[in-house]
Amino acid sequence: MIRFEGAAKRHPDGTVAVRGLDLEVPAGRTTVLVGPSGCGKTTILRMVNRMVEPTAGRVLLDGTDVAALPAAGLRRGIGYVIQQAGLFPHRRVIDNVATVPRLLGWDRRRARARAAELLELVGLPPETARRYPAQLSGGQQQRVGVARALAADPPVLLMDEPFSAVDPLVRAGLQEELLRLQGELGKTVLFVTHDIEEAVRLGDRVVVLREHGEIAQLADPHTLLTAPADAGVAAFLGRDRGLRGLGLRPADSVPLTGLDPAPTPDLDLGRRIPYGGWELALDPSGRPEHWTRGAERHPVPVFVPSRDSLRAALDAALLAPSGHAVAVDAEGRAVGTASRAAVVEALAAANGTGTGAPTPEQVPHAGR
Amino acid sequence: MNWLGWLHDFLADPAHRSGPDSIVHRLLEHLAFSAEALGLSALVALPLGLLIGYSGRGLFLVTAVAGVARALPTLGLVTLAVLLAGVGDTAVLLPLTALAAPPMLVAAAEGVRGTDPDVRDAARGIGLTHPQTLLRVCVPAAAPTLLAGVRTASVQVIATATVAAYVGLGGLGRYVIDGLATRNYPTTVGGALLVVLLAVGVQLLFALLIRLAAPPGARSSPRTRARRTGGPSEDPATVPASPPALVKEVP
Repeated sequence: MIRFEGAAKRHPDGTVAVRGLDLEVPAGRTTVLVGPSGCGKTTILRMVNRMVEPTAGRVLLDGTDVAALPAAGLRRGIGYVIQQAGLFPHRRVIDNVATVPRLLGWDRRRARARAAELLELVGLPPETARRYPAQLSGGQQQRVGVARALAADPPVLLMDEPFSAVDPLVRAGLQEELLRLQGELGKTVLFVTHDIEEAVRLGDRVVVLREHGEIAQLADPHTLLTAPADAGVAAFLGRDRGLRGLGLRPADSVPLTGLDPAPTPDLDLGRRIPYGGWELALDPSGRPEHWTRGAERHPVPVFVPSRDSLRAALDAALLAPSGHAVAVDAEGRAVGTASRAAVVEALAAANGTGTGAPTPEQVPHAGR
Repeated sequence: MNWLGWLHDFLADPAHRSGPDSIVHRLLEHLAFSAEALGLSALVALPLGLLIGYSGRGLFLVTAVAGVARALPTLGLVTLAVLLAGVGDTAVLLPLTALAAPPMLVAAAEGVRGTDPDVRDAARGIGLTHPQTLLRVCVPAAAPTLLAGVRTASVQVIATATVAAYVGLGGLGRYVIDGLATRNYPTTVGGALLVVLLAVGVQLLFALLIRLAAPPGARSSPRTRARRTGGPSEDPATVPASPPALVKEVP
């Protein structure tokens, strides 16, 4: 657990970055600091690993004042991911990831084995290990950055706008990946972003900051979106709060079209169901494998109606090359599909009057 | 007689085949002397430059030294050293060392200062100490700039060592100076050509080293990379392929 007790930062020239923050960051959960640029959110984050020393107050990590710990040792025990990944350009990906274990005195073989595990964990193919950072795309570099932060299995992860520099589609993929990782690992994550949508999507708790690191509201995403503390927070949340609220509405209102023909679980081979030009390939147990058209193959974006949000259904419909989101049950078996039009209709209904309901044309990367 | 004929005479001279005035001996003399001056200079200039570049303190000193060095008359410095310290190799070594220092000092400082600030921040943030950050991150990143500085210094020292034959130093400069003194033009031309070849050879060697020091993939400029980062994904691994888990259960 991280606790800020009146932590303040005043620069030598007298300007105040953070006036005095009291905040508890619970263990095992994701806490997101969000606010406009210059609100001191990065300064707050950097106080935890002593990249910034508070000029007043203190920061406690599991009850110990971090100022009492040696900086380098403290940092080796805290994962740190920054916006531009900050990978070492002259080192191969595998050695970038192995940096902290090596600093902790692991031998090279063990550190590399651990690094290889992590590359797999963050979804990078094994051949990436031997590449150099400049040979990777921005999204891949960020994945390596996350792998490097996790290498020594630190209980705490500090993430400073880690996904801000990648394009929206890649960012969505990285966010999903982080949610999956966090579901598996249960780290204490302190995440900084200026993007309220990202905050709501990733955070168990969201801290909305205004100038000088003052807390405007601290709430779970649902409360934040439905009951902003004041006009300032509401303005920061933005006018299209309806769309962001989609992330919190269930997807079971989306009308599904049954699969044609009805699933026959005893078939040995998979099945292919045509959807205008595209075919949905299912494996023998009825799980979607991919969308195909000729030699083209694409992953199948899916949603679970009983568990996922409208937002997930919309994303699945927008990302599917055929324009059909595939609904699956808890075991991953396809139970039906929903066209973009069907999802948009459900959105309009959920939004009451239907104003603000997005059409595919208004959403970036709506695709075909 | 044309210069090709002179060159033939120079190479055919038995004195240039073996003995203390042989080409091989003079070449080795020249190299040894230049290397000594460079080594001494590097020992002082490189650590100082690295520290200045890393700390950002004393950069004005680097700028000043670089400016003064550009204005220094090479021959004058060598003559002054001999006048002050008397004829001898040590007396010449000092000005050569002084000449080699500024390019290396500037390159070391600028190279380290030019390390991507995000990379330095990340290095510190994941727990590298200051010395570790400097030696394991900044120095490798600065290696191409650093080597370019050493290259400039080397060529300068090799050239100046030639002139230093004027005050009694050995090496290839002997041919040039002695040839001129005795109006033996073949020797002068041959010596001059050897110096040029040596300088070009050293340049090529460093060009190769600098290429090797740059990490693969880094040849595309940072600007190109930034554009790629902002562009559409060309990377299938980053396109979500797993079931979207876009929402978190709200407690």
